[in-house]
Amino acid sequence: MNIEEVSTGKFFPIKIVPVEKADYKFLVKSRYFFNWKDEQNEEVYKLTIKGENEILGVISLERIYAEWRVHIRLLSVSKENKGSKKKFDKIAGNLIAHAAKIAVAEYGELACISLRPKTELTQYYIEKYKMNITGITLSLEVPEIIDLINLFDNN
Amino acid sequence: MIHDFEYGVDSRYKNKKERESDSVALMQARLERMKAIPREQIIRAKLLQLKLKMEAYLKEPVYDNNNHFTDFLEMYIDAIYPQRSKFAEDINVTPVFLSQIINNHREPKEEFILKLMIHSEKMFKNVCEFHKKTWYQVYYQEKISDTMSSQEQWRPGIEKQVKISELSEM
Repeated sequence: MNIEEVSTGKFFPIKIVPVEKADYKFLVKSRYFFNWKDEQNEEVYKLTIKGENEILGVISLERIYAEWRVHIRLLSVSKENKGSKKKFDKIAGNLIAHAAKIAVAEYGELACISLRPKTELTQYYIEKYKMNITGITLSLEVPEIIDLINLFDNN
Repeated sequence: MIHDFEYGVDSRYKNKKERESDSVALMQARLERMKAIPREQIIRAKLLQLKLKMEAYLKEPVYDNNNHFTDFLEMYIDAIYPQRSKFAEDINVTPVFLSQIINNHREPKEEFILKLMIHSEKMFKNVCEFHKKTWYQVYYQEKISDTMSSQEQWRPGIEKQVKISELSEM
């Protein structure tokens, strides 16, 4: 899995691992848009470039076993990676693909990931990640969930 | 600009009611969609699940009494074939031979693992990247784990047969 440096087009290998307690002091709202300390008791992962410590993105998940679903509670990239002047591309996509991998590993052909973005972003997610919409909830299931994993794994 | 919004998502449910109504509606829609999923896509999902589980095992080996190699082998066969005897036929072994391996009554010979490797190469081709050495890695990882975790049983007998005659102390 890689992210792309927008200015050079260069790819950097990444790793996504569980957030440690000590990380929360760096996960401040001014840089990561949400109060991540509220998620300390949840399943939270951080994305970094391999060999580096700087957290470029964070995701909080809930495994809903009864529904064969992994719900994305919270996701954010770091401030420098927001908007048209972002430093790296594909951070959010890699984090969503990570959630998809957990869902497929757990639930196989029944796997599903879900999230509920702001209304103005809904269409963007549907087009970019081929998500389905139910009410205000977006979800990704077989076969599209496999394509998403492959897209980011082989990138 | 849409990119200005794509910094994050807050999908947390505000209350139990919101969560429950979301669950019901989503499950209904998913069950409808599931009816239309072709068998080949179900096989793809099961194979990807197997690959992810094998990778997780190799990353963090589990030390227990299960035979992970044969567990993964069972998953692999059952993902693709309605009957295990069809797999036996496809790799040119007898159903009895296959059954003995699955039930841990016989060690898989190298030829069996080679056949499995080639069969997997063909099956995973249109699913995802699957490294040809994965079955070997799982098999030998399991051997290492078994040997290391059963030292109490084999060490006393083996240790008696080992001495260092050249250097008494290092």
